[in-house]
Amino acid sequence: MVLHKYGEKLYAGLESTMTWRLKEISKSIEAAQGGLFLEELNTKWMDHNKALQMIRDILMYMDRTYVPQSRRTPVHELGLNLWRDHIIHSPMIHSRLLDTLLDLIHRERMGEMINRGLMRSITKMLMDLGAAVYQDDFEKPFLEVSASFYSGESQEFIECCDCGDYLKKSERRLNEEMERVSHYLDAGTETKITSVVEKEMIANHMHRLVHMENSGLVNMLVDDKYDDLARMYNLFRRVSDGLSTIRYVMTSYLRETGKQLVTDPERLKDPVEFVQRLLNEKDKHDKIINVAFGNDKTFQNALNSSFEYFINLNNRSPEFISLYVDDKLRKGLKGATEEDVEVILDKVMMLFRYLQEKDVFEKYYKQHLAKRLLSGKTVSDDAERSMIVKLKTECGYQFTSKLEGMFTDMKTSQDTMIDFYAKKSEELGDGPTLDVHILTTGSWPTQPCPPCNLPTEILAICDKFRSYYLGTHSGRRLTWQTNMGTADIKATFGKGQKHELNVSTYQMCVLMLFNSTDGLTYKDIEQDTAIPASDLKRCLQSLACVKGKNVLRKEPMSKDISEDDTFYFNDKFTSKLVKVKIGTVVAQKESEPEKQETRQRVEEDRKPQIEAAIVRIMKSRRVLDHNSIVAEVTKQLQARFMPNPVVIKKRIESLIEREFLERDKADRKLYRYLA
Amino acid sequence: MAGSAAKRKSDFSTLPKTKSRKPRGSGGPGPTRGVSKEIERIDHLFYTYADSSSGMIDPEGIETLCSHLEVPHTDARILMLAWKMGCEKQGYFTLDEWRSGLKALRADSISKLKKAFPELVQEVTRPSNFQDFYPYAFRYCLTEDKKKCIEIPVACELLNLVLGLQFRSQVDKLVNYLKYQSEYKVINMDQWMGFLRFCNEINFPSLDNYDSDLAWPLILDNFVEWLRENKS
Repeated sequence: MVLHKYGEKLYAGLESTMTWRLKEISKSIEAAQGGLFLEELNTKWMDHNKALQMIRDILMYMDRTYVPQSRRTPVHELGLNLWRDHIIHSPMIHSRLLDTLLDLIHRERMGEMINRGLMRSITKMLMDLGAAVYQDDFEKPFLEVSASFYSGESQEFIECCDCGDYLKKSERRLNEEMERVSHYLDAGTETKITSVVEKEMIANHMHRLVHMENSGLVNMLVDDKYDDLARMYNLFRRVSDGLSTIRYVMTSYLRETGKQLVTDPERLKDPVEFVQRLLNEKDKHDKIINVAFGNDKTFQNALNSSFEYFINLNNRSPEFISLYVDDKLRKGLKGATEEDVEVILDKVMMLFRYLQEKDVFEKYYKQHLAKRLLSGKTVSDDAERSMIVKLKTECGYQFTSKLEGMFTDMKTSQDTMIDFYAKKSEELGDGPTLDVHILTTGSWPTQPCPPCNLPTEILAICDKFRSYYLGTHSGRRLTWQTNMGTADIKATFGKGQKHELNVSTYQMCVLMLFNSTDGLTYKDIEQDTAIPASDLKRCLQSLACVKGKNVLRKEPMSKDISEDDTFYFNDKFTSKLVKVKIGTVVAQKESEPEKQETRQRVEEDRKPQIEAAIVRIMKSRRVLDHNSIVAEVTKQLQARFMPNPVVIKKRIESLIEREFLERDKADRKLYRYLA
Repeated sequence: MAGSAAKRKSDFSTLPKTKSRKPRGSGGPGPTRGVSKEIERIDHLFYTYADSSSGMIDPEGIETLCSHLEVPHTDARILMLAWKMGCEKQGYFTLDEWRSGLKALRADSISKLKKAFPELVQEVTRPSNFQDFYPYAFRYCLTEDKKKCIEIPVACELLNLVLGLQFRSQVDKLVNYLKYQSEYKVINMDQWMGFLRFCNEINFPSLDNYDSDLAWPLILDNFVEWLRENKS
């Protein structure tokens, strides 16, 4: 027919025949009842497809010649278009089809089993009719209905579920939707439907979820609910601001609890416990971030900044951290393996990094290290050195040079003593043994302190050592730090029992007085020994007032030492131990006045550092405004401490007074460097 | 008359800075008879008050002078006179200083000196002169060698004296504060200059243009903080 120029007639005939046929079909589909509707539609669609294929094959010639020439729609496409117009868009079918589909999906959401194969065929049919048909006639209404469904459901859930359950439910819904797409919807729908669920179930309820009473984020953190936390992280990550919401709540929680921790006066009583708590807290949250938050960098930063914030709220933190190390290096590490020691020290270093006043830490560390070294209390030389290396890596050579100097002194002293005894042993005879630590001034936290009057026996050997030492090292000065030494003395008591007493140098001086007499007043002792009053009181207290160690007897009996007391040698002293260690009553933690003093020394030490920084900056910049100086000085010094802006201002004024700087005559903001 | 007097003054307005010890009047070209007569009278007046052994008018002499001038010896005008004379040491006038000062004031008798005071006050108050007079007042109070600061009570007196007229309310508050605070025992030149700058540049009592981030001496930061606290 095409060859005989009847192409148009043939095409028109095909169109009208097909239209007529489809109208028939549509009637039969419309007639299908209830559940059969979809099946009927599907069967007819299959038939139509098959028929269409055949028609296309038969009319292939027309399809190839007439159709392109006269710009008609190709046969197959024509068939689909007619199907679309007469079946899918037929008023009786169109809305019924959509309602049926949505109803089925709803039923599936409610837990019913539906015929997924059929669903897939239908959605595929819609896709075959063109993406626009799928989107307009199914996807769009589907998303709208889903949104209202999840909006309602989430409202219901949030009223009756706790946060963990809610998240579980949301997660399940999300997975269901994804599964649904993979089974019988077009793949392109996935992102659309998941974003609907995310918005309705998560984004809209984010704040309420996070802050939910008794089960929100804070409770999860407190109870280490890794699964719930991970779920929250993964769900919230899908919506904008989700993670920042979690982070914000976590940060404020950390700051609040941290603040309570470091400012609770109860906690401050035991520095070791205090630091241990900080470490535990850090471990706990490190683990949460690692396990539940996928080691998210932004969360690690939030954790770090929170710790830095609250650790520095308590100005005793540097002291306490040093005390913690002291405790570990004295006894805590006994029996620990090298790796364990490293782990502990690394953790301490982590806290150290948070400190703003690293110079204060250095001050205390020096004091504590000196005590450890001089009393021989350090358990592991390797651990000590490892700690120094860590500090050096963190803060540079200058920070640790004095600490290292202390170790060198210890070693040199040992060699010196061996040499001293090797050379002078015959000269010394049977007298007391002397062990001298020669401390380089400046490296050690020594304070000038007038030496007390040593017993003559000791004085003799001290003088011998002095002449030996100055003989081998000319040009040095040797002063005795009698406030830092210890002594082992043998004592025989009333019934002939012998004990070895481990005491401080001061205590030894006091005890030796009782070799020649039985009773002495406080005034006598003070005069004979020339020990500073506060030290003397402390040392007498430990000799006379501590049960089980009271080698002296005091009259009148009382807890405290007064200047009118009289002391007697305690004949009746007994102890199960042969060696008795008499400690001085010394507070491990600094007392308030000591703390003030250390503080003051730190402040004094900072002044030249701040001034040097100002001069360095001004020398290169010549003219600079006040705020920039403060900012630059802070930047230069913050590795060691946070300079207070007021202190910086004072230093600037001092430099103005000494004519290093001047104020600009015209501009109130500026300072000028005077070369 | 007033115009010519002003001109004369300005001729000598830089005089205190030079701290010259040379007698100005006699060294000038062609001293007329009137001038030398004037110098004679000025010198005569000097010796009326000078201590014969030291050759200077000492504190006692100044007190006598003040009583003749009928002003208290702690009056600002005496300080201004010292400035005009370029006087170097507190409580002592040398002959050279006396000559240059009185010549510049055209005064060779007590009554003329008394009459010259109002003009002197006006002269000092002119901003350009005041910038010189104000630090001079501070230096004048450094009674010992190498002394760089003045004690708080002295500083308060001095503030009253030199700024009291122009900045009454600021000075009252500042003096109150200086007496109240315990951080500072002395005032240095930098802080002293800061006070003047504060009075000149800061709106008072609103203080709305005071910014402690600028390069103010700390003592003024504290003062302003104290003012703001006390206000509320």
